[in-house]
Amino acid sequence: MSDSASRIVVSDLSIRYGEVTAVNGVSFEVGRGEHVTLLGPSGCGKTTTLRAIAGLEQPAIGTISIDGEVMYDAIERRNVPTEHRGVSMVFQSYAVWPHMTVLGNVAYGLRVRKLASSELSAKVERALDLVQMRHLADRPASKLSGGQQQRVALARAIAFSPTVVLFDEPLSNLDAKLRAEMRLELRELQRQLGITSVYVTHDQEEALAISDRVIVMNVGVIEQIGTPEQIYNRPRNRFVADFVGSANLIRGRVGKPLANGGTIEFMADGGHVLRATAPHALRGGETEVAVRTAYIEIGKTADANQVPGTVRRRMFHGDFVQYVIDCPLGQLIVRRPPTNLVAEGEDIELSFSPEHCILLEG
Amino acid sequence: MTAPVKGWLRSGNHWQGAITLPVLLVVAFLVLLPVVFLLEESLNTGDPMAFPPQQYGLANYAAMLEEDLQVIVNTVVIAVTATMMAVVIGFTLAWILTRTNVPGRDRLERLMQLPYYMTPLVGALAWAVLASPKSGFFNQMWRWAGGEGDLFNIYSMFGIAWIMALFEGTVAFVMISAAMKSMDPALEESARVIGASKLRTALTVTLPLVMPGVLGATLFVFAEMLGSFAAALVIGIPARVYVITTAIWDSTLSYPPAYGRASAMGLALFVVMFAMLSGYRWMVARGSFATITGKAFRPRTMDMGRLAWPLFAVCALYIVLAVALPLAALLLTSLERFATALLSQAQFTLANYEMALALGPVRTALANSLLLGLGVATVGVLVMALLVWIIYRSEMVGRGAVEYLVMFPQAVPRLVFGLALLWAWLNMPIPIYGTLWLLALAYFTVMLPIGVRTLAGVVLQVDKSLEECARVCGAGWLYQLRTISLPLLKPGVIAAWLLIFMASVRELGVSVFLMGPNAKVIAPSIVGAFASSGIELTAAMALIQTFTVVVALMILFRLTRGMTRELT
Repeated sequence: MSDSASRIVVSDLSIRYGEVTAVNGVSFEVGRGEHVTLLGPSGCGKTTTLRAIAGLEQPAIGTISIDGEVMYDAIERRNVPTEHRGVSMVFQSYAVWPHMTVLGNVAYGLRVRKLASSELSAKVERALDLVQMRHLADRPASKLSGGQQQRVALARAIAFSPTVVLFDEPLSNLDAKLRAEMRLELRELQRQLGITSVYVTHDQEEALAISDRVIVMNVGVIEQIGTPEQIYNRPRNRFVADFVGSANLIRGRVGKPLANGGTIEFMADGGHVLRATAPHALRGGETEVAVRTAYIEIGKTADANQVPGTVRRRMFHGDFVQYVIDCPLGQLIVRRPPTNLVAEGEDIELSFSPEHCILLEG
Repeated sequence: MTAPVKGWLRSGNHWQGAITLPVLLVVAFLVLLPVVFLLEESLNTGDPMAFPPQQYGLANYAAMLEEDLQVIVNTVVIAVTATMMAVVIGFTLAWILTRTNVPGRDRLERLMQLPYYMTPLVGALAWAVLASPKSGFFNQMWRWAGGEGDLFNIYSMFGIAWIMALFEGTVAFVMISAAMKSMDPALEESARVIGASKLRTALTVTLPLVMPGVLGATLFVFAEMLGSFAAALVIGIPARVYVITTAIWDSTLSYPPAYGRASAMGLALFVVMFAMLSGYRWMVARGSFATITGKAFRPRTMDMGRLAWPLFAVCALYIVLAVALPLAALLLTSLERFATALLSQAQFTLANYEMALALGPVRTALANSLLLGLGVATVGVLVMALLVWIIYRSEMVGRGAVEYLVMFPQAVPRLVFGLALLWAWLNMPIPIYGTLWLLALAYFTVMLPIGVRTLAGVVLQVDKSLEECARVCGAGWLYQLRTISLPLLKPGVIAAWLLIFMASVRELGVSVFLMGPNAKVIAPSIVGAFASSGIELTAAMALIQTFTVVVALMILFRLTRGMTRELT
């Protein structure tokens, strides 16, 4: 990909805090108008990476370019200060300035850029309209609820028409209901304005829901990059399978490849033979396949892996029912819609298709 | 999109170093150099006025054990007595105010700060009026009621300890109630739920959890009491009871001044206090405060039923003894021709105030103190703000060292620091000894810890992302400072200003050494008036000083209350 196609290019980025390496050789690109999410558990280096793009952290190694312009280069010792990078950011704590009004907060980036007052008020109003906060423009920022502060932070970040907006867990301080609402709104806003965004979250559901592409990180390195569907359906390794969504991991060893498109034979430890999909070239060290809990069906299906089992536990969650099932592959977790309940103790047949049985990298 | 300039480099680090190094040097010069001078002088066994010393030896230290053994015994006895009283008072009040449903709790808690602001000097003068033999108000009334002899005698070791406990021991209350407040009520509740009785819970959960806090407070207060000066000066010298601080003061008054002896005593005191404070810090750092979670809880209070009012009376009694009676006694005395508690014999007059405000030396002392307070607070806050920024916000090399240096004066007894400054600046080729400039410099140095800590408290409250966000919005460093950082810090800056102003107006320990005939300040002048003029004039002067502090205090209270309201 050439620089002109990508808005942000991060390559070989490493960031250290004293002895600790927070980010270790991270490379990725973000296309124009793309919404990319950095997903990972706390301490995986996702926020540090984001802050490095903004110029708030100084990397030890690597380069960062935005719009083809080198913002940071460790070898050339080039480090463009934050205020000259032209990016915008929404902070986890919102960072709404309590000594200003809502309007003062939103207009800040425009005042810094010395906009004429007519243009300034037009842009402020537009930004406030986008987050439905115009009626509160003159309210002191210290008198806002959490959700309102969130909106002000958002309006402030987009008011000066930045091309890149960085989001640092912007929804993590909101309650679940509001979070779901804001998620939708954010996605809508992002499409409407065509901005490029990098979003950081530890909430896998959020990451899958709002991103064009997801970058899964763990202990400072990238585990997998892909669309939400790719990440969910084709997890590369145990960490991704485990951290994103819920999956059953079945141990065993790889058998012979079967003719049709990446399908292989997999000998599970219990002796059962499964047909599985290998999304990558076989290396030989693979010992696990992953099956999403939602992709296992109860009952026989043609052309799928079949395993007999017994229902040990049934838990009603509302949106789904979770079964714990004893079977030759071990204990499997199965999530089914809350229709056609199966009773505890009942003997059943499980089936899942080979394309949902993913061989993980060793 | 703004065009980035080529080659920003990491130039930041260079100019940052160019700031830290001079700052480090200046602070070290102000803070450490006096102590080095003091150390050298304490080893001087030749002519005590010679600089640099012609002979070195340990004679000054040896003399302490040979000739001043009584002083050391007095110091320990008084400090132990005062600490015990302060901790008992502090523990009782802290328990009543945090754990019981005593009426008017919030208001009482606020009143508890007052004795500290009264200052031990004013407290000692007031208790001299209240409880001296014969002329003391208590004794006057005792005889008027038909009693014989004297009921109280403040001019005693117990009297000194009593005043120290009342006016300098408030810190015990603050520390112990902090320990009690920071205890999660769930810790006690879970004991109750499991089946422990109230008493058993108190003995097995509450007490062990609060104990480290109490021990820490005891150690801290004891260190303070060892270095306490004002009460020992006002009460101890007429009573001929010398403690180490007054002995240091006394040896600089002899002819020729025994600076070597004074320095040795001062350093010994510093070392002992430093060890105690280190022990205290070690206790805190070791995390034995399992109760401290950083959160302040409102512990569940016990319903005391009919006992609530007696508990209220205990708190009220403390306020009466430490604030109301002393102030009333001083006020009455200052309005009389001759101090008497018997109103029938009183001759009321305003002459004392007229004299205090008209008398040349007193008036200039008051004016000088106000001038110093204004100047030191204004310039000091600016410099301290820079220091706070270096220590807590920048990533400069050596900021840890700056923090350590800035907090260092806290570990040195005020009086010893005064002596060190005296000796250092007597021998420095810069001729500012005996001028207000030296006093200003000294005030600034000794107020570094309180000023920096107050400002840092506010800086740390301001989330870093508030500043980072301004940068992301495109603001340069100066623009961010002007529009975000400074406005957010304003209330804290004003609070720090007021605290430094108050501390300057009441400063005694450093001032007694550095005051010159042409640079008098109020607190030592009050002591001087007590020794040479009547108690009536002294009372008027003390009240004028107190009044100045109270006005500043009221502004501070209003401000901090406004601040908390704004933040919630």
